[in-house]
Amino acid sequence: MDILNESLKVAGGRDCRGLVRFLKEKYLLYARERPGSAGLFNTIRSILNYIRENGCTGVREFVEGFRDRYDKALWAASEVMAKRVVDGDVVMTNSNSVAVRRLFEILVRNKVKFSVYVLESRPGMEGLVLADYLDKLGVETYLVVDSAARFFMKNVDKVVSGAEAVAVNGAIVSKAGTSLMALAASEARVRFFAIAPTLKISLETIYGELVKLPEGDWRLLMDEETRRAMPEKYTARAPLYDVTPPNMVDGIATELGLYPPQSIPILVKTIYGTYPPQLKPLDTLFAELLGGG
Amino acid sequence: MSTIPQEVLDIAEGIRSMRIRGAGKIARSAAEALRIAAEKYQGEREPSVFRRYMAKVADTLIETRPTAVSLPNAVMYVMQAVFRQTSDFDELRRGVVDAANRFIEDSLNAVKRIAEFGSKRIRENSVILTHCHSTAAVSVITEAYKQGRVVKVYSTETRPFYQGRITTRQLLENGVPVVQIPDSAVRYIMHEVDQVVIGADTITSNGAVVNKVGTSQVALAAHEARVRVFVAAETYKFSPMTVIGELVPIEFRDPTEVVPREWLEKHKNVRVLNPSFDVTPPEYVDAVITEAGVIPPQAAIMVLTERLGWAIDKIKQAGLTKLRFEDLVED
Repeated sequence: MDILNESLKVAGGRDCRGLVRFLKEKYLLYARERPGSAGLFNTIRSILNYIRENGCTGVREFVEGFRDRYDKALWAASEVMAKRVVDGDVVMTNSNSVAVRRLFEILVRNKVKFSVYVLESRPGMEGLVLADYLDKLGVETYLVVDSAARFFMKNVDKVVSGAEAVAVNGAIVSKAGTSLMALAASEARVRFFAIAPTLKISLETIYGELVKLPEGDWRLLMDEETRRAMPEKYTARAPLYDVTPPNMVDGIATELGLYPPQSIPILVKTIYGTYPPQLKPLDTLFAELLGGG
Repeated sequence: MSTIPQEVLDIAEGIRSMRIRGAGKIARSAAEALRIAAEKYQGEREPSVFRRYMAKVADTLIETRPTAVSLPNAVMYVMQAVFRQTSDFDELRRGVVDAANRFIEDSLNAVKRIAEFGSKRIRENSVILTHCHSTAAVSVITEAYKQGRVVKVYSTETRPFYQGRITTRQLLENGVPVVQIPDSAVRYIMHEVDQVVIGADTITSNGAVVNKVGTSQVALAAHEARVRVFVAAETYKFSPMTVIGELVPIEFRDPTEVVPREWLEKHKNVRVLNPSFDVTPPEYVDAVITEAGVIPPQAAIMVLTERLGWAIDKIKQAGLTKLRFEDLVED
């Protein structure tokens, strides 16, 4: 969680308006470029709520504590998922999620024998980074193109992905291609799990907000030289995330346990005390703390 | 016995060395080789001797590329005429030349007819998605665009070789608006798509479509979204071997097509698996558009028995890999 580390750098002193302004900047940037970043928005909300109730005193300690709790939650969620992987399992995943890396680290530590199919994950090719990580862990790994997910699904026991956000209906916002992988799993009756600490639950979706998904263009798919060789009218769309519907998700591994996707409202009630939770929109919180600025 | 003309041997060598490539070209070259062989035959004007000579030519041709389905199909199509019951040598030879010519002409016209039939299946204001590169599929889409029914085409990149870029280029040259997407975005984009049009490498007797890897998950995503899937394929892509239960071999190509060699050498625990094709089950295909008409994929067996019934009988007796036309000649 870079935002927490960065917050600590600007959180010095008794006046924390600088921190609030920094958070607002980040909020505006992410709302524009990565509007699906539920974890980030929830983090900002927590810090703002703390300042609103307690002033600036102790905000540094609060942020530190928050960071440590989040890190533990992420480990705990991966631990929950690790219990579902048994000796001999073949796992498929895409991209390079921290939660999924931790899952593999735990499995190796627990001496579980398993192998992994990694999708290369266009456009970012993060699958190569994950394959590199698995190689160093000494895990038997198969790297395949995204198009081969269905081809190899018959060999797979479980599919696991990280999550950028979890909508309140249990839909998972994750790296582009996840929903296609989940669909192929569902067709082959292979279980699909997402690892997501509860901080990734998008509270805005409770009020009907759609999670907006950013897209890139040809720059994500080729270099300038290749582009020049293509016709002038060449255009491309490269979505960064997609949405996996809850009916394809068998379980969401959180720090509080493995939950069926349809039970997210129960989780929200457990954490926030009520359902729906009493939330002030981030815009309102910023306006209160910065005086309309 | 008459020797095989040099021209025929040159064609066989061209197919073997992949100087002649592409399913259509290979098939037409093989038919042409058989025609030349028949025309240049200098031996005894006796049907059984002529049959033995033609069988030898056929076996020579088939041995060049045993896995490409279009090649044995072309040869079998022409050889049906060779084995026709007749005692009149001239009639027999004429029949063989006619069959070869008919095959070549049908094959050349096939894409045109597929475009004509296929374009009628595209509805007004359609957004189409295609995968990889297929001449037949591009022709269908272009023809439908000319008729004013295509608004936009999504073309997948098709890793590892990016054949989607060829598709995109060709469609743009034909004036068709195209947007390229990565293969991972297929399900994301599917809700904007009205129809999927793809080609085929091989179609099996039960109507399964063997095509570029990723095709089956394109079809799966289309099926989920209730988007129609059309496969554009010439009848010589239908595999008679599958009638006797033979599996279509799926080639695994070199891992360096996916990642550089240095990357592979640095990662000893990682194996890169690079299958070229996958199999789309017939239930995800709404129709196969052939030059002989639009058929449900399950009717593949009908195309096979109608067009290659004679060959299938022979394959049933011997199996294609062991099938030698020379053994079929009766004295």
